[in-house]
Amino acid sequence: MMRSVATVLFLGGLTFLLLVITNSLNFGQPPMLIGEAIRYAAPENVGAGNLVTAVVLGYRGLDTLGELSILFAAATAGGLVLGTAHSRAKQASGFILRTGADLMFPLLLVVGLYIVIHGHLTPGGGFQGGVVLAAAFFLPLLARPGESLNHSLLSVVEGLAGAAFIGIGVYALAQGEAFLTPLFDKGVLGELVSSGSLPLLYLAVGLKVGSELASLLMRLAGDDEVTS
Amino acid sequence: MTDITLAVALPLLGAFLLPLLKEPALRWLGRLLGPVLLALTAVIIAFNWTALETPYVVALGNFAPPLGIAFYIDTMALLFALAVPITTLLLWPGINDEQAVRRESLTLLLVASLVGLALSGDLFNMYVFYELAAVASYGLAAGSGSSAGFVAAFRYLLISALGSVVALLGIGLIYFTTGTLNLAHLASLSDQLANPQGLAAFAMLVIGFGVKAELFPVNGWVPDLYAAASKRVSALLAGLASKLAVLVIVRVLLLVFPYEETRQLLLILGILGVISGELAALQARDVTRMLAWSSIGQLGVVFIAFSLPGEAGVVAGIVVALHHLVVKSALFLLADKWGGAIAALRGAGVRSKLAAGLFVLFALSLLGFPPLPGFWSKFLVLSGLAAAGDPLQLMAMAAVLIGTVIEGAYLLRVVVTLYSKPDSEAPPMKHSLANLASTGVFALALIGAALFVMPLWPPLSDMGKTAANTDAYIETVLADPEVKQP
Repeated sequence: MMRSVATVLFLGGLTFLLLVITNSLNFGQPPMLIGEAIRYAAPENVGAGNLVTAVVLGYRGLDTLGELSILFAAATAGGLVLGTAHSRAKQASGFILRTGADLMFPLLLVVGLYIVIHGHLTPGGGFQGGVVLAAAFFLPLLARPGESLNHSLLSVVEGLAGAAFIGIGVYALAQGEAFLTPLFDKGVLGELVSSGSLPLLYLAVGLKVGSELASLLMRLAGDDEVTS
Repeated sequence: MTDITLAVALPLLGAFLLPLLKEPALRWLGRLLGPVLLALTAVIIAFNWTALETPYVVALGNFAPPLGIAFYIDTMALLFALAVPITTLLLWPGINDEQAVRRESLTLLLVASLVGLALSGDLFNMYVFYELAAVASYGLAAGSGSSAGFVAAFRYLLISALGSVVALLGIGLIYFTTGTLNLAHLASLSDQLANPQGLAAFAMLVIGFGVKAELFPVNGWVPDLYAAASKRVSALLAGLASKLAVLVIVRVLLLVFPYEETRQLLLILGILGVISGELAALQARDVTRMLAWSSIGQLGVVFIAFSLPGEAGVVAGIVVALHHLVVKSALFLLADKWGGAIAALRGAGVRSKLAAGLFVLFALSLLGFPPLPGFWSKFLVLSGLAAAGDPLQLMAMAAVLIGTVIEGAYLLRVVVTLYSKPDSEAPPMKHSLANLASTGVFALALIGAALFVMPLWPPLSDMGKTAANTDAYIETVLADPEVKQP
């Protein structure tokens, strides 16, 4: 009883506080100091058609590496907690489900790769595309209980993709530039091969997110045959 | 190739590559990889320190701040950054079971994020590293495998996630008001934050980052987690991770919110932390819980120290924080075998003399027994408070002194139990060699600091002067006039 009263009081106070703060804010004309500056500088400095990508992989590349690591940490921690193998009732699924999943697989693969590769031109990119790729590999598993993806292959892809992201950053360091400086020629704004090393970074992000999510999903589905 | 960014990149690279080395044939390489990378990281940071003449900025990706992310390298940043790989090396999880790869991966991620926290000069980048540290520590804490550990880790996850959301809200508020995230740029615009919204944002940051720093209202997760997790993880979280979270709050306080109100907020929360932590530690009947509560009290003193204005506050804060880092890590290592009820320790000191001797040494330093460094740390805090002399500061003085008395009561209780006559043929609790060796290194650091107080003082005071100099920070980061007016 006391506990719920305290909870209600706390939540009420918090809501009131947030409302007061929101009310005192000057909506409509936020100062876009950095935002405006990046908007004018980015096309020339980074050469990505998609401004968001210029920020995500260029101006704030280190944050993206951090996000990537957070996802990796979450997957690893999940593995640590769920690490032991479960056995699960293996019930054969029907023809329609299996065929549907098979049909979806190439489609999802193409869409996922498209989103990853066009990340520097259109909305999307490594994170979103990676999730679609993970779904592409996870869907056939849902349709065929008992089968499982190759765990060690997944972790190899995952590790190498993460290492590639850092490797590109360190390569810039070896060239005398700062860590994670975009490399190569920026090319023509809006073309597929443009904005230097950014598409490579997004490819690494896509592969890492995809493999990580696929193995995490499998582990949650209790399909973890390899215990380590 | 001794760029300081490698101190973040190398541990991350190691964490990504470790799972590739889990095959039995390659496992020896994997077991070597972590410690080698940590040593390398420490060498890189130390090298940068010796080469450092004036504070400088690393613009990541060659995007000049405030547009891009910047690392700000001064001696305070390097000191805390250097403490990360060295402490982690001493607390490295050595166990080689089937989960070892994951645990080592998470530890390396924690190292990368903590070094990043020490170096970063960008508010949102700090948040990303803080999140990484938080997620890695959930995993490490839950890795003990016991159900109590899972419950404690889940509770920690909930509190920490709430804290992260609150901190993110604070950052959002700051960005909305000023339109920038770079700390130097924020410092030059800090007038815009000298209003209730700005103070609310600061309070949100303090609450959010305070979760890891064991700040007063958001530290409920501490005792359960430290009691359930492996003692090396507890030492890592209580000793090391909390200090880096404190550093973030201090940077924001010094640069962006150098006001009376913000200092008072930290001071009050610090006082409450000291009182609640020490009183709860006195009640504890279990060694680990006692240490956990005492750690909350000690971090209260850290916050009180950093709330002092100017250079004196920074110096006092650094000394108290580092002292706590060394002492609490070592005490948690000793609690690995002495973790149970205090009463069960009767006579343990007679059976393992070295460990008991070390415990006494650390307990005395924690109490502030001269000439151990703990004395100097408390002396700096108390003299700083006395110099400030406001009623609130005098209250803080009283809290620190009363806290010391309570600390004396519960620490000496353990010491007395250790040396009392064993009443039964209890099984001898042998400390593992690795733990004793690490504790010994911490003891050497403590004694070294006690012996070299005088030579250590000038660099420390310089460090405080540089860190408290906001104008120089702004000047260094935003040297390019083009950047200042985009």
